Amino acid sequence: MSAAVSLGWIIAVPFAAAILIVMSDPRPNQREGVTLAAALLLFVLNAALVPRVLAGEALVLHLAEPVAGLPIALSVEPLGMTFALVASFLWIVNSIYSVGYMRGNKEQHQTRFYVCFAIALGATMGIAFAANLFTLFMFYEVLTLCTYPLVVHKGDAGARAGGRTYLAILLATSIGLQLLAITITYVIAGHGDFTPGGLLAGRIEGPIVGVLLALYMFGIGKAALMPLHRWLPAAMVAPTPVSALLHAVAVVKAGVFTVVKVVVYVFGIDLLAGESSAAWLLYAAGASILIASLIALRQDNLKRRLAYSTVSQLSYVTLAAAILVPISIVGAALHIAAHAFGKITLFFAAGSIYTAAHKTEVSQLDGIGRRMPWTMGAFAVGALSMVGVPPTAGFLSKWFMLTGAMQSGQMFAVAVIVASTLLNAAYFLPIVYRAFFRAPAVDDAGHAHGEAPLPIVLALSITAACTVALFFWPDLALLLARDLAQAAR
Amino acid sequence: MNEHWLYRPRTLSRLRTWGVGLLVAVVVAELFVTLHPHFGFAGWFAFNAVFAFVSCVAMVLSARLLGRFVRRRDDYYDDDRLPAARSGGAPASDEERA
Amino acid sequence: MSLASVPPALLLIAGAVALPFIAPRWRLLALLGLPLAALVQVWHLPDGQVLAGEFLGFAVAPLQVDALSRVFGTVFCITAFAGALFAYRQASLMEMASAFLYAGAALGVVFAGDLLSVFVFWELMAIGSTLVLWSAGSTQAWRASMRYALVHLFGGVVLMIGVAGWAVADGELGFRSMTAALDGEGARALAAAFILAGFLLNAGAPPLSAWVADAYPEASPSGAVFLSAFTTKTAVYVLIRGFPGAEILVGIGLFMIFYGIVYALLENDIRRILVYSIVNQVGFMVTAVGIGTELALNGAAAHAFAHIIYKALLLMSAGSVLLVTGKRRCSELGGLAQSMPLTAVCGIVGAMSIASFPLTSGFVSKSMIVDAAAYQHLALVWVLLAAASAGAFLYVGLKFPWFVFFDRDCGLRPPDPPANMSVAMVLLAVLCIALGLSPGLLYAMLPHAVQYVPYTGAHVVSQLELLLFAALAFFMLLPALRGTLTISLDFDWFYRRFPVLLLALLTPPARLLWRALGEAVCDRIARTGRHLARVYGAREGIASVAGSGAMATAALSVFGAVLLYFYLR
Repeated sequence: MSAAVSLGWIIAVPFAAAILIVMSDPRPNQREGVTLAAALLLFVLNAALVPRVLAGEALVLHLAEPVAGLPIALSVEPLGMTFALVASFLWIVNSIYSVGYMRGNKEQHQTRFYVCFAIALGATMGIAFAANLFTLFMFYEVLTLCTYPLVVHKGDAGARAGGRTYLAILLATSIGLQLLAITITYVIAGHGDFTPGGLLAGRIEGPIVGVLLALYMFGIGKAALMPLHRWLPAAMVAPTPVSALLHAVAVVKAGVFTVVKVVVYVFGIDLLAGESSAAWLLYAAGASILIASLIALRQDNLKRRLAYSTVSQLSYVTLAAAILVPISIVGAALHIAAHAFGKITLFFAAGSIYTAAHKTEVSQLDGIGRRMPWTMGAFAVGALSMVGVPPTAGFLSKWFMLTGAMQSGQMFAVAVIVASTLLNAAYFLPIVYRAFFRAPAVDDAGHAHGEAPLPIVLALSITAACTVALFFWPDLALLLARDLAQAAR
Repeated sequence: MNEHWLYRPRTLSRLRTWGVGLLVAVVVAELFVTLHPHFGFAGWFAFNAVFAFVSCVAMVLSARLLGRFVRRRDDYYDDDRLPAARSGGAPASDEERA
Repeated sequence: MSLASVPPALLLIAGAVALPFIAPRWRLLALLGLPLAALVQVWHLPDGQVLAGEFLGFAVAPLQVDALSRVFGTVFCITAFAGALFAYRQASLMEMASAFLYAGAALGVVFAGDLLSVFVFWELMAIGSTLVLWSAGSTQAWRASMRYALVHLFGGVVLMIGVAGWAVADGELGFRSMTAALDGEGARALAAAFILAGFLLNAGAPPLSAWVADAYPEASPSGAVFLSAFTTKTAVYVLIRGFPGAEILVGIGLFMIFYGIVYALLENDIRRILVYSIVNQVGFMVTAVGIGTELALNGAAAHAFAHIIYKALLLMSAGSVLLVTGKRRCSELGGLAQSMPLTAVCGIVGAMSIASFPLTSGFVSKSMIVDAAAYQHLALVWVLLAAASAGAFLYVGLKFPWFVFFDRDCGLRPPDPPANMSVAMVLLAVLCIALGLSPGLLYAMLPHAVQYVPYTGAHVVSQLELLLFAALAFFMLLPALRGTLTISLDFDWFYRRFPVLLLALLTPPARLLWRALGEAVCDRIARTGRHLARVYGAREGIASVAGSGAMATAALSVFGAVLLYFYLR
């Protein structure tokens, strides 16, 4: 089928699925079946696009033009392909997981959950394949709005407060800063189409570059660049499948994806490399990495610790992009994928622990590895990936980031990566140790439990295996990432 | 209870005699071999013997000297912890748990 | 990958992963069989690149064989075998699996032909060894192991920086000598320096050498045997291959030698003494690598071989004592030879080896290094090495067996340890003597042709003179050598105590400053906030309670309306 039709289907499937899910409300099995089928279909459609992207085909779909000069169009390029593949694959796994989690915890409003999930994936596809800034922004906002009901899923006062913070920060940054930046870009360049080499290349110079960059970077609130990161830990009130979605599959990945897209296709790395006013980004990203990790060290709540770890890891992508050499762009793209698999494993494990043992704090996890070996084993794999140790995917992205940093002589980035490695180890390794090598606390004797329900264990085993598999078979991810680096030149 | 043969006084004095005899024998043995020293001073008679004794004494004394500066009580580090320990990272030591 | 080209590393690593799934009665077979199978494979593999491929755009050779790799591969397999035999009865499943992962990863490093493979296995070694430490189970072990893990991850990332830098500067990651690059300039020199630093950290070189004595003694008796063998000697291997003749290594090695001796002399804990002596002996090997001649490199490899075996033997002996008495301090032990004669004899054989007594493996290996210094006319180095050889007898060759098995009777009469441990010890003791009696066995394996003859009359007599008069010094200084209940501060003070002190020092003024600033700023903000709240507050004015859900709907509707409007225009 032609490119346009493929792209059309890719956008349509999740939204159509949403409608079908609404219609399947009274029949849970049908509802879950629709979700899984839609996820599988979406992944297959994306996978089918891959050979064509690698061959260099231009795949464009023009959807509408509500205002003259502001088309809503989709096009496929390597970074978007990577993002879409990761997101659609993880939708499958997350759906399997959600079945286990939602049923295991007897959650309310499951239909609303699955509907919003589907819409969120649709918006994610739109972001991944956006051909211009306006389209990207549109889907970006849809993503924020449709994930709000997911964040406040529990419905209690705490959930609503978290949701308010979530919405407030994301909307304020996107409308207040990002929209402004987009508008300025359109005014300067006359259009907002993503261009290899940067659409602003040669059109601007001087301090305006630094300012515009700041508007973008802080406007992309989903990338959680400090200090605009508070929405992420606040969103931890959501059930774990939502956290997994937020922090691995869609929302944060949309954020850093947009960051890389802006750096590569809006500014162009040569433009930014030549401008001293843009140098601040490297330091902001570095500071974000370290401060977030330091905060994570002090968290006892497991999900909050993972949330701050996410803030830190997202800034890895920003850092990699900010090094501004093609090979570090490869690292940034790889990290989007590597972190997705690793972090989703960690969140799955957290949810698994909650479902099976009703524990939420790290200090409660003594000895839990004996009872839940698969869960904690997967957790260990995810943790190793965060630290960046082979044979996990995290090593790959770290390798390219370090290579890029060494190539451009950015010793600050090197030092940040060293410090961050140690910090990640400092707050992840104790958890693994407690789980496997400490005896359970005395007062725990009464609550006997085993592993979590099968769908949960299955899902986290798959993602953990993928984390390792990506190390041994990185070729596809590498091909796409290198194509992106080519486009960056 | 019978003392172990190693600890009987006769054994100890015998060992001492044998020990001194060995030392003398080894030094005397040097007369019967031809040394091919790489360095001039290494060819002096009984160089290794004197050298070993002196350097060992020197090492023990320097260790004592260093010890004056770096020795601390056995439990000097017992209250140290990584920051993670304070909020759910490393488990508390057994004493603190009680 | 055909059967003939299975990497020995894979045999052990696969064994580690499979171990929990093997039925208990077959486990011993696996634990003993796999190292033997790996040993067979080490000698079965042909020379050169056996496995090659491509990874991340670089040519990699995960399995490349030559004489140097074989020497280390052989001794690693032997140690895995003996260690498994020593451990299987009392060690936990997790410890055994971790130990095999660790040993397998070490095999992976020595047979790796490129820097990327070296790095991957290097990190796997760190994981395996941390798990071995964790398996020991005590709180002390936990803290020491966390420090260990962090130090090794730091070393790992330093190595990774070096390898990445080398990839950028050189373009090719084959594992070959980088000594020339060190003396050069620019990116290549920087990368080589980072790689060297990463290698040295694992070797236990200063300034980050405290981890060895900090972590190893906290392992279980059987765990310590594994730990002593692999990390430090793998570091020696990579130094031999990567930086032969690098002059800085001579100075570093000499420092390590005397650091080990002096700190061991201050020690009371028998296992800590043995562990400091690891640093001491590795220092010999590092110095040899720095000297760089064929004799010196042969000596480094031979000494590594001998050292692994006799150190494992010593640690087994000390571990047995710990296991049957529960004690590890010299001041609490003594006179154990009366009831543990086998352990005592094995301990003495190990001690004789480490002191390089004639007829032991240490004699035929360490003297190569000392002689290499002499041949190069490095007078100062030679003097220091000779002194250290004498010192080795003093601080461990005599101190360890004397205070544990002889000296004052502590009153305990523990028996010799269980059969598996005794057999393992005897096996290694026999090996020490066998190598001492026929050094040709070892010399045949060495990477360069050996013309060295250890058993000359002059050599034997000189060495005996050295050792016996060191013994004289020992017995005359006996009171000064007794252990006390103290610890010795090391460089790790800087990352253990210093940050705490710094924090304690800086927190009160920081807090004062923060409060002052905060008050000024917060006051301002609070006033503004109050004003804003009056106009835009939650309960009144613009933002009366409407709920965020409603807000979302409103936003969507406005958005949709704008779109619609522009579409219709």
